Amino acid sequence: MKLDTIQIRSFRNIREAELSFSDRFNIIVGKNAQGKTNLLESIFLLGTMKSFRMGRNGDLITYGSTSSLIKGRGFRGSVSREIALSIMESGKKAFIDGKPVVRPSDFFGNLNMVVFSPEDIAMVRGLPEVRRRYLDRAVFSGDTGYLSIHHEYCRTLKNRNALLKLGERDGLDAWTERLADTGARLMVKRESFTDEICGLLGEFYRRIAGAGEEALIRYRSRADTPDRSVAALARSLRDTLEKRIPEELRRGTTLTGPHRDDLECLLNNRPLSHHASQGEQRSFVLALKMAEIEYLKRRWGNPPLLLLDDMTSELDRDRNGNFMRFLREKDMQVFITTTGLDNIHLSGIRNYSTFPVHDGRVFTEVAHV
Amino acid sequence: MIHFSQSLTRLIGELKKLPGVGERTALRLAFHILKSPRLGKDLAESLLEVHAGVRFCSVCFGITEEDPCCICSGERDETVICVVEEPQDLLAVERSGAFSGRYHVLHGALSPLSGVMPADLKIAELLRRLEGSSIREIVLATNFSVEGEATALYLGGLIKPLGIKVTRLARGMPIGGDLEYVDSATVQKALEGRNEL
Repeated sequence: MKLDTIQIRSFRNIREAELSFSDRFNIIVGKNAQGKTNLLESIFLLGTMKSFRMGRNGDLITYGSTSSLIKGRGFRGSVSREIALSIMESGKKAFIDGKPVVRPSDFFGNLNMVVFSPEDIAMVRGLPEVRRRYLDRAVFSGDTGYLSIHHEYCRTLKNRNALLKLGERDGLDAWTERLADTGARLMVKRESFTDEICGLLGEFYRRIAGAGEEALIRYRSRADTPDRSVAALARSLRDTLEKRIPEELRRGTTLTGPHRDDLECLLNNRPLSHHASQGEQRSFVLALKMAEIEYLKRRWGNPPLLLLDDMTSELDRDRNGNFMRFLREKDMQVFITTTGLDNIHLSGIRNYSTFPVHDGRVFTEVAHV
Repeated sequence: MIHFSQSLTRLIGELKKLPGVGERTALRLAFHILKSPRLGKDLAESLLEVHAGVRFCSVCFGITEEDPCCICSGERDETVICVVEEPQDLLAVERSGAFSGRYHVLHGALSPLSGVMPADLKIAELLRRLEGSSIREIVLATNFSVEGEATALYLGGLIKPLGIKVTRLARGMPIGGDLEYVDSATVQKALEGRNEL
């Protein structure tokens, strides 16, 4: 589904906005701290109910208001569909075509999207936690069932940690087994996503950097059995957990499991974080994003929306041009924030709309055709 | 609230404490009771009776008026026990009519996060019931939540070494359910637990 219109009320510094989007390129332009990313964030919320920034619900609501409303309209096939999200301090409520959404799984999958922001570039150098967050979001966007397993895992982990903190052994075995079982299911999903996207990544990287370069991602966990089935991984994870119980009791926390795993980024078989130049790291992440888009397109039958947050500062002219060419080839709806139109490689792009943002107010400039 | 009557205000106030009852519903209920003196009297009596009469069975910890309860003292299969979290769960299994054994109510599920440990549940009582008994099978019917699953595993770990068969309720598609309306996690579980035709 593409997003035709959006209506925003009391969201961050945007008090009121009603916009019609181009089905291809939408360029949100303005100086820093005017509300460009807020607009992008509101679109992201319509697809995921979550923000790509950290923070509480209250932070999303314009100061002085009690709630925010974001309403988006688009077409799914020939049927128009309205997705609305109302945000209050106490929580969010979603509506599809005016009807409240009871199960979150009914909400997801309507508007699929991929975000590309400077944080993604930092991912390859950052802590494993950042890469896990990326991985969770990416796996989820292609497999909505991932969410419930992830919730289950986190809850089991919290319970097990509570027990470890108390230094209590009674009942620990049951929680260990549950954690190993749920953890294994989580790992299998992460691994199958990583495997699938790895081939695409290599292909796109060669397209950017030339033949002979080999980019890889690998899911790294402590469970090193050759058999990667849920049952085998669960067994391996349980063995590792059991071995470390004395240490875990001492430290009061679970030391092994998918919450400690990492996504390894390799260029020509060497870790990207230490052995690659900044330029190579950027190309890598760019290729990874292209791979993610292609993966989601295959998975859902049509490409996701792409939200590009201030990427022009991160990508040089060549990479920028390369990426825009890729986007032009795909029938994608793209939202780009930038401080200046000159930063974007618009040559060859005819169908775009521009949205100047100034102090929380969003304007529309005539769509170019 | 206008203070038209002290006793009516009190009734509304008490009704409002019930789960799912708000101001308007409480008002409606109170006026309904006011208009039918017979209902009011019966309701008041039954409220007093419920606390005087109802208690937990000393064997299965289900709700009963006589101890042991009618299931524990009745002509039921003594060799199978179905373990549930709450008394309501016992009623749900009983309503199905598919179970002819006896029950054991845990009164909760393990949840270290909320401070519920094995000693807080009727687990020691269950194990005592198994000692030197003729019980062949324990059916674990705790909820399919994170806590319910962990409780089932914990009980399994305690009971299996005693040489008693331990089973767990199956999960999957609801009867008469349209596949399209079932959430994806349930479909996933149903696929994992599929049977050969």
